[in-house]
Amino acid sequence: MLLRKDTRKINWLMLAKVIGWLLMIESGFMAIPCAVSFAWGEQDGWIFATFTMLTFFTGYVLNHFLRPERHTMGKREGFLLTALVWVVFSLFGMLPFLLCSHRIGAGDAFFEAMAGFTTTGCSVYADPEELSHGVNLWRALMQWIGGMGIILFTLAVLPMLNSSGGMQMFNAEVTGITHDKIQPRISQTAKGLWLIYIIITLACALLLWLGPMSLFDAVCHALGTVSTGGFTTRAAGPAAWDSGYVDTVITVFMFTGGTSFTLVFMAATGRFAAVKANATFRYYASTVAVSIGIFAAVMAIKMGWGSTLRGVLIDPAFQIVATITSTGYVVQGLSGWAPVLLGLLLPMMVFGACAGSTSGGAKLDRMLVLTRYVRNSLKRTLQPNTITKVEIDGRVLTADTVNQAISFLALYAIVIIFAAGVLTLMGVGLSDSLFCSASCVSNAGISPDAFGGDLAISSLPVAGKMVLSLAMLTGRLEVFTILVLFMPGFWRK
Amino acid sequence: MRIVIAGAGEVGSHLAKLLSNEDQDIYIIDENVERLDTLNQKYNLMTVQGNPASFLALRQASAGSCDLFIAVMPHENDNMVACSIAKFLGARRTVARIEHYEFMEEKNQQFVKGMGVDKVIYPEYLAAEQILTALRRTWVRQWFEIQNGEIIVVGVRIRSDAKMCGMHLKDFASTHHNFHVSAIKRGVETVIPRGDDKMEEGDILYITTRREHVNDLLALTGKVEHKIRRVLIMGGSKIAIRLAAMNRDDFRITVIEKNRAVCDKLAVRCPGLESVYWGDARDIETLADVGIDSFDAFIALSESSEANILACLTAKEIGVKKTVAEVEDIQFINQAEGLNIGTVINKKLLASSSIFQLLLDSDSSTSKCLALTDAEVAELEVKPDSKITRAPVKDLKLSREMTLASLIRDGKGMLVTGNTVIQPGDHVVVFCLAGAIHKVEKLFN
Repeated sequence: MLLRKDTRKINWLMLAKVIGWLLMIESGFMAIPCAVSFAWGEQDGWIFATFTMLTFFTGYVLNHFLRPERHTMGKREGFLLTALVWVVFSLFGMLPFLLCSHRIGAGDAFFEAMAGFTTTGCSVYADPEELSHGVNLWRALMQWIGGMGIILFTLAVLPMLNSSGGMQMFNAEVTGITHDKIQPRISQTAKGLWLIYIIITLACALLLWLGPMSLFDAVCHALGTVSTGGFTTRAAGPAAWDSGYVDTVITVFMFTGGTSFTLVFMAATGRFAAVKANATFRYYASTVAVSIGIFAAVMAIKMGWGSTLRGVLIDPAFQIVATITSTGYVVQGLSGWAPVLLGLLLPMMVFGACAGSTSGGAKLDRMLVLTRYVRNSLKRTLQPNTITKVEIDGRVLTADTVNQAISFLALYAIVIIFAAGVLTLMGVGLSDSLFCSASCVSNAGISPDAFGGDLAISSLPVAGKMVLSLAMLTGRLEVFTILVLFMPGFWRK
Repeated sequence: MRIVIAGAGEVGSHLAKLLSNEDQDIYIIDENVERLDTLNQKYNLMTVQGNPASFLALRQASAGSCDLFIAVMPHENDNMVACSIAKFLGARRTVARIEHYEFMEEKNQQFVKGMGVDKVIYPEYLAAEQILTALRRTWVRQWFEIQNGEIIVVGVRIRSDAKMCGMHLKDFASTHHNFHVSAIKRGVETVIPRGDDKMEEGDILYITTRREHVNDLLALTGKVEHKIRRVLIMGGSKIAIRLAAMNRDDFRITVIEKNRAVCDKLAVRCPGLESVYWGDARDIETLADVGIDSFDAFIALSESSEANILACLTAKEIGVKKTVAEVEDIQFINQAEGLNIGTVINKKLLASSSIFQLLLDSDSSTSKCLALTDAEVAELEVKPDSKITRAPVKDLKLSREMTLASLIRDGKGMLVTGNTVIQPGDHVVVFCLAGAIHKVEKLFN
């Protein structure tokens, strides 16, 4: 590759052109709630129609009339595009909230859109039942798009990004320490992942529909469950149906959503041995299983003779999976659970599930690296001459990879503490600030009041919501992609 | 097409990069994780870690279902074994890189086929061939013959005294019907020119013409042809040995090599050499001792591209008429071409030429291909019902990344104009920029 003078300048025109493409895609998604709204005969249909057109034309104009000199995108353009796309999507995605039948301010609307796309799922709407079908479906769809990744979707449908620039964006958006491909070409990988994603979502919707939910609620919840988002159509969430069946189905699909989709792809193509041997998946499954055991025991002791299957097993399993996959659904009466259980849920929320899944958090893959690295360090304290290595799935990780995973964890903690610090400046209490910040950075979206605190995230001032929006994005794009933009060297010519 | 590459060395990595830009499904196998990681992060391909000559790694890379298996590890034995295993597993075509001429000999072909190797590539042989062409045609940078020389593509750098310098292409074309300016390399960029492009001083023009008109080109570009007799080679590399073996009394070759042991080996293994000289050719006094001013050509084949370029410049200054430099770093090729070096050779480009040929025409061995730094020249046979035959060339709406230069119909060459209608069975010479070769393939199949 040849270095030319102009490669030091960021190719803004090309960025805008690609964003134009992406906006046209977003307008395509927006057309779905538009049609649904009209089908229900709601006024919001017109709002959606207007903004679908607006988004489409903005995208069309950007894409069609810009003529960049170079069509190449370097490393920096890749990072910048990935970060920008998420913001631009949220900016256009929030438009319907501003004018729909149940209006909210621009700050709240941006927060809602960002919470959707990053699959955080903490809503400013106290009672989603007041919202039109169109708005509710749009909220669910946003999570679904963001869950697998906006860029990943684009890579699947736009052949023009099928180059090294696309690779860069894939690396910037897909979660995890290393990024597994399932096919040699990035577009095939993206198509494979999306296909799996669509099939799982359909299966989830179908199973929910077979239960007490209406088709509409089933679809919305399937979109929110598989993407591990957490938006719902009722104030109480899935608990509103008060059904063991609904909770079990959702638990299973949240668990699937928290599994690496590469693994799901392998399982779907019959390679179960590889799935069983995968260290992270075993770690994930055993963490969930052990936690369910502990919770069940504590619940059984607490409830004594009044124990029910629901109270001892289904509810705790639901809550554990909803927390570890960062979905953020909450069962009825969670705040009344034994404090030790709430204390156990917290680290699960921060660590999240497997990399390459739709879940948030710092990812168990890195926890696994950390555990093995710490074990090695301890071993070396006793026997300084031991040669140690961090091995995962039979592959020895290079020192660079280990360093990257550990520095990520350090940065992750710093981001949580920093965002919490900014919240305290706005007069939010220290523990609530920390909880909100951790919940948003790990894209869980659980509000402190669900854990027995006093504060609901939706009641924060607009400035606080903006801070949390940025925190959500930083968490979703796994810190580096966002933080690198704040490095002076990134912008220097 | 699904392509498995065994060995992520220089040639393997280069092929992987090129082919992944051509929208092919690439799997690359190597034992070195770091090499694989760099490729994996930057390019559209899958990497498999393991010994490429093992069943395990080849199964992991699903070599059994690939269309093309390319073994380019450092040792030919590994390559042969890898191809053999891949063929056993079910690979459609296999290619092995070799280091000995034996495997190319006709009488040994039965063995090579029996090993499951469909084609061998021998970069040193290709390089020696290219050097011999360069010594016979001193005035060109590139010389590419198609169908026994019926059509010839030359790459030539023009100076201000060339008649065509400063002319617009459309004016040139209207007065010179026998030439097709197919590509222009200016600085670091190669372009497929249009009518309003101008030919400027220092451009390397790739001109397609028929055999009988080549000599007119000599006058047109203001070049003089030199007769080469005595050749001085710096570096007793594998290419030098190959060159000595392929030289049939046309040239008298002297080799300067700085390693004494290599010198001894050369003297024994290459009886055809005029003399072997122990010394460092970068040293001007050594060159004077050898009597550099009595040589007609200087060929730099040492391991270091920089040393080769600089040594060639020195030789040119002393007055050697033709210089050839081996430049293995692709980035340096453009620099070397900009400097006054006659011909630049690069083993990676030569190897990729052979592979592209397979990509374009996977079942016929009649077509040829030439890889330039960022463009390709290919000769393709037109299949019945292919897209290219449906309309006159000007109505085909060809991509701007390619041009049709000439065609050979019934053994007779002709240049392609806008009104030409391509017929099945024609052999067409196509120029296309890097990354567009799969578009060409679609047009012809």
